[in-house]
Amino acid sequence: MSTLHASPHAVSPERGVLERLHAWAITVDHKKLGVMYIVAGLVFFVVAGLEATAMRLQLIKPLNDLLTPQGFNQMFTMHGTTMVFLVGMPILLGVGNYLVPLMIGARDMAFPRLNAFGFWLFIFGALLLYFSWIAGDGLYGAGGAPDVGWFAYSPLTSRTFSRGNSTDYWILGIMVSGFGSMTTAINFMATILCMRCPGMTLMRMPLLVWMMLVVAVLVLTAIPVLTAAQVMLLLDRTLGAHFFDPQQQGSTVLWQHLFWFFGHPEVYILILPPFGFISEIVPVFSRKVIFGYALMVAATVGIGFISLGVWAHHMFVVGLPPWLNALFAASTFLISVPTGIKIFNWLGTMWGGRIRFASPMLFASGFLGMFLIGGLTGIMLAVVPFTHQLSDSYFVVGHFHYVLFGGTVFAIFGAIAFWFPKVTGRMMSERLNAWSFWILLIGFNLVFLPMHFSGMLGMPRRIYTYQPGRGFELWNLISTIGVPVQIVGVGLFVCSMVRALVKGPVAGNDPWDAWTLEWATTSPPPEHNFDRIPVCTSARPLWDRKNPQDPDCNYE
Amino acid sequence: MSGGPPERLEMPYLRGIPLPTSGPLWAGFGVTMVFAGLVTHWMVSLVGAVSAVAGFLAWGLACFPEESLEELPKGSEAIDAAPQLARKSNAERLVLPAEMHPYGSGVRGGLIGGVAMAVAAVAWGVLREGSVWLPINLLAGVFLPSVDAEDVQTLKTFQGGVFAIACGIHLVASVFIGLLYTVTLPMMPRRPLLMGGVLGPVLWTGILYATVGVVNPALERFISWPWFFVSQVAFGLVCGVVVSRSRRIRTMVNWSVTERLGLERSEGGGR
Repeated sequence: MSTLHASPHAVSPERGVLERLHAWAITVDHKKLGVMYIVAGLVFFVVAGLEATAMRLQLIKPLNDLLTPQGFNQMFTMHGTTMVFLVGMPILLGVGNYLVPLMIGARDMAFPRLNAFGFWLFIFGALLLYFSWIAGDGLYGAGGAPDVGWFAYSPLTSRTFSRGNSTDYWILGIMVSGFGSMTTAINFMATILCMRCPGMTLMRMPLLVWMMLVVAVLVLTAIPVLTAAQVMLLLDRTLGAHFFDPQQQGSTVLWQHLFWFFGHPEVYILILPPFGFISEIVPVFSRKVIFGYALMVAATVGIGFISLGVWAHHMFVVGLPPWLNALFAASTFLISVPTGIKIFNWLGTMWGGRIRFASPMLFASGFLGMFLIGGLTGIMLAVVPFTHQLSDSYFVVGHFHYVLFGGTVFAIFGAIAFWFPKVTGRMMSERLNAWSFWILLIGFNLVFLPMHFSGMLGMPRRIYTYQPGRGFELWNLISTIGVPVQIVGVGLFVCSMVRALVKGPVAGNDPWDAWTLEWATTSPPPEHNFDRIPVCTSARPLWDRKNPQDPDCNYE
Repeated sequence: MSGGPPERLEMPYLRGIPLPTSGPLWAGFGVTMVFAGLVTHWMVSLVGAVSAVAGFLAWGLACFPEESLEELPKGSEAIDAAPQLARKSNAERLVLPAEMHPYGSGVRGGLIGGVAMAVAAVAWGVLREGSVWLPINLLAGVFLPSVDAEDVQTLKTFQGGVFAIACGIHLVASVFIGLLYTVTLPMMPRRPLLMGGVLGPVLWTGILYATVGVVNPALERFISWPWFFVSQVAFGLVCGVVVSRSRRIRTMVNWSVTERLGLERSEGGGR
């Protein structure tokens, strides 16, 4: 049963700023919440970028003293934590929040108020984490922002080595935002499994929706483990428990197992939605149906499953038994198979297509190249003797930035370029976007490619400075020179967004001639998404609508 | 008020969308403050608890005893995505692989191509290194790391076990590539023989050039890349000719499960 009320928005269309802000603050609309997730994520992206810039400036030359050692520790801790928890996850969950109901022909998420609750938990958790810059000193007058790395290895997190409250803020901030992520994951699962429009079978769902379903399962599997570990750590720090205290029969390796059981699925939480973006963008701009839909779905589920069994490849140098290292090396090799299938299928989709290199496709192509490099260096790192040589070196830093920046961030930019017209009703500037892409691509490679070389030369990660004459100078100089190039690339993209909002041409409902349901409604969509619940006839319902003489359903 | 009895299979929010509420905001703020109090002051937790209770209360009131929904606006511009489909048309789309060569031709092509490749490799061994056994022993280095430690003279002599392993590798790889050709050659857009006979060996040689140091260090010590390429082309051309000369058969990619099981006759009239 339900009670119907007149629309509060219809009463006063001319509202002031405060009224508008209030409307956004109390909204339970999945689209507004999605936009708020994305905007918050982009703000934190700038913050994390500033932290990274500070680190790169510190490393521009040997024996630099721009940052103190502790300041450098705080920078890489906050940069990593921010990028993973406050940039990657919210933007990806935000895009999913916006698109999933539209793509499956639903009016909202299954639990709209829980959806809003999840968003606010994320925001307040993030603010709590950043409040540590002010309050992290605690009673000891030591600390400030957390400085224990985004993985917070024990025993560095014990009271002995981490005085003050900074680590507590790290625990609590991430824990609270983790609750938010879990509620959102529950919402995704219920929405996708229970609210698809008539005719939309599981095998007709857009691939992005499949990816979000698998991501939701991964979030619900992995984040509770991190939360449990964080509670144990909090008990260690506040009540004198000894879960991770080796001097009291605790185990530091236990923390690593618990953290990486979360940590590696987290990588796939951060890369599966981008896979979904690419799977939506590439067919539209190749003018072909996705190559191997069923295999893509199988690969997605396979990645989700295998990703839960690879965590100890982060621990090859801990001293685990050789058979265990071999097992995790094998599972890591194994996960490259479904990932390779995806790359093959994207290329198969492009092969023979009428490719339009509009800006979303540019970013998608950039993703393919950069992610492939990151994936290949990942396979190299799956070889135990190789990791024995290069663990904790800048090679690893270069590798995961090719995955998470070259992969995730490029795909996010592509997704924004692709769906911006739907969200705002305005077209971004193709010229600015193209400039942004090429400059970002150059800047990205300037920053992160040299890290592979400095890493192979032996430069450890997380060091705040280095001695001259070890061959690190040139590579670090090039890396730092790449930073302003990247800033220009990102800045141009932001300019393109602002320009589009101010005076961008009207987009229309379906500017890219796409095939999924979100393009069937207006741009921007109304609060209720669709006047009538759509009927899905194939995996490309809008194609069927546009081509009734040759619909896809004839071939399914 | 919503009227009428609840319908079976009714989509959620068919008649309205959820009304905005500040409950989740206050609840989220409160829960965070409860945790923040652990590292600040108990009063912070207390304020958080009050906020959380108020938020959850507002949230609950929005759902119970009846969910508060906002009435859908009438006559908005959101279009209906239900397609108006025509009858099934006669248009056909090519689903690849639409055709392929029989597996038997792939096995045959692989074996004959393997012979051609072996002839080229042995020719290199005899003409350049003075031993028929060197290329055979080197091939076994993929599986036998001990081969890398052997000196040149040993590598130029016959070794029964190594010979058997090399033959096994060569046979399996040749048949495997032959089977691949049965599926891939019909999908090549133009001149399948050129693609299979030349382009394939070029790509394969390139891949091996980059990785031979890892997969077979012994081979890296002796390999002659021109001869290697010639042997690959010999395989590709011979295998390609044998495979492409066989008739093409339609694949079952468009058949239903019942057609594949033979319970129903396919539209194409069977294989």
